[in-house]
Amino acid sequence: MRLSLLLMAFGGSLAQSSVVPSWSIAGITPDLPLILTALIALRRGPETGCLVGFASGLFQDVASGGLLGVQALSRALVGFGVGFLPGKLTVNHPVVQVPGLVILTVAEGLFRFGLLQLFHYPAKLNALIVHVILPQALYNGFIGAASILAFEAAQTLRRRQTWI
Amino acid sequence: MRFRKYALLLGVLLTSLLLLTVQTRGGGQTRAGDVLAFALNPLQSALAKIHRGALGTWHVFTDWRAVRAENTALRADNERMRVQSLQAREIDEENRRLRRLLSLRDRLPLTTLTGEIIGREGGGWARSLTVNRGRTDGIAQQMPAIVPEGLVGRVAQVRTGASVVQLLNDPTSTVGAVVQRTRTAGLVEGEPSGGLRFKFMARDGADVTPGDLIVTSGVGTLFPKGIPVGRVTAIEDKGSALFHFAVVAPAVDFARVEEVLLLTGQSTQDVAGLFIPGG
Repeated sequence: MRLSLLLMAFGGSLAQSSVVPSWSIAGITPDLPLILTALIALRRGPETGCLVGFASGLFQDVASGGLLGVQALSRALVGFGVGFLPGKLTVNHPVVQVPGLVILTVAEGLFRFGLLQLFHYPAKLNALIVHVILPQALYNGFIGAASILAFEAAQTLRRRQTWI
Repeated sequence: MRFRKYALLLGVLLTSLLLLTVQTRGGGQTRAGDVLAFALNPLQSALAKIHRGALGTWHVFTDWRAVRAENTALRADNERMRVQSLQAREIDEENRRLRRLLSLRDRLPLTTLTGEIIGREGGGWARSLTVNRGRTDGIAQQMPAIVPEGLVGRVAQVRTGASVVQLLNDPTSTVGAVVQRTRTAGLVEGEPSGGLRFKFMARDGADVTPGDLIVTSGVGTLFPKGIPVGRVTAIEDKGSALFHFAVVAPAVDFARVEEVLLLTGQSTQDVAGLFIPGG
């Protein structure tokens, strides 16, 4: 089971660097591994979320050629934190999940910026928010909504097949 | 058990920070950095290869889709333009034919009626054209049908809205004609082979040679005088026979006739000079 989750994280990261760039709108692409991490963490809890986040973040760090560990750490924290939410908040409904994904993307972006500041990252926060974090957060919300709908449809189909 | 998740988080945190520290301290030249790079480089290389492969495949797929869509659109455009081109060529050709016919009609001192060919019979037993002009248009039997090149035939049957024109090369067709140069009189007859022959008296036709133009004689007032019928291509000399025959190539290509002028009036004037070579 863990292997399949790792493969999913790897597949998400691979898709992020191969297929997802072609979905670019005005230079903004959705963050597929982040969406996967959040969705998996919601369903599997903080431990799995943390591991999947760490693995997918590390893959992304390797693929992007940036500092190894930045995305691994931020995604691990996202996975861990989101994994706790089902017990604390009502997060099962898509109406909560989609805006939640937008907020999560913004929070992850801010955390990543803070972490990169330790390494003298040169970009300004306001420019990052306007041009990168917010557009990507909205895009993530849209893709997240589509993913949730697809996931629900797949589960419904599976239930029907079980009945048959 | 309760602290397992926190231990995991701590482990992940420490690993990440260790990775970051290793990379930043000593500019990545430390032994730990080298070890990490040694461990990760193959993975990074493999990932880059997969990435490039996936990206390449994706581009091939998107290109293929675009090319296919473009190909379909271009094929449709090509087909449409080919049809348009054919239609334009057809209209152009029809326009040219009608202009020539109109020009002939204006030149002739005869009342005429334009008819469009709506049917053909060319089996050999009978050779005819059906024209969309009939009794209601004032068409009568024996009226000549002509085109700018010359004589086509005569009306053999008249119906309410159409007429059947017997072609010159019908085996039962006979037209009084003369050799334009020598004025040798004779009859142009249709042959079962689809050709024409000019039958003339031997004593009058010694001077007839290949290339001579045969025109209608005007005798009997059925056909106006001087309508081109064809050109002599060979002489069949039967020695002491009373009649000789000349093989005649029709002036008109009957297979290509699409419109005709039906001569509804009579004239005794020689019209040979009004038929310009080439229409």
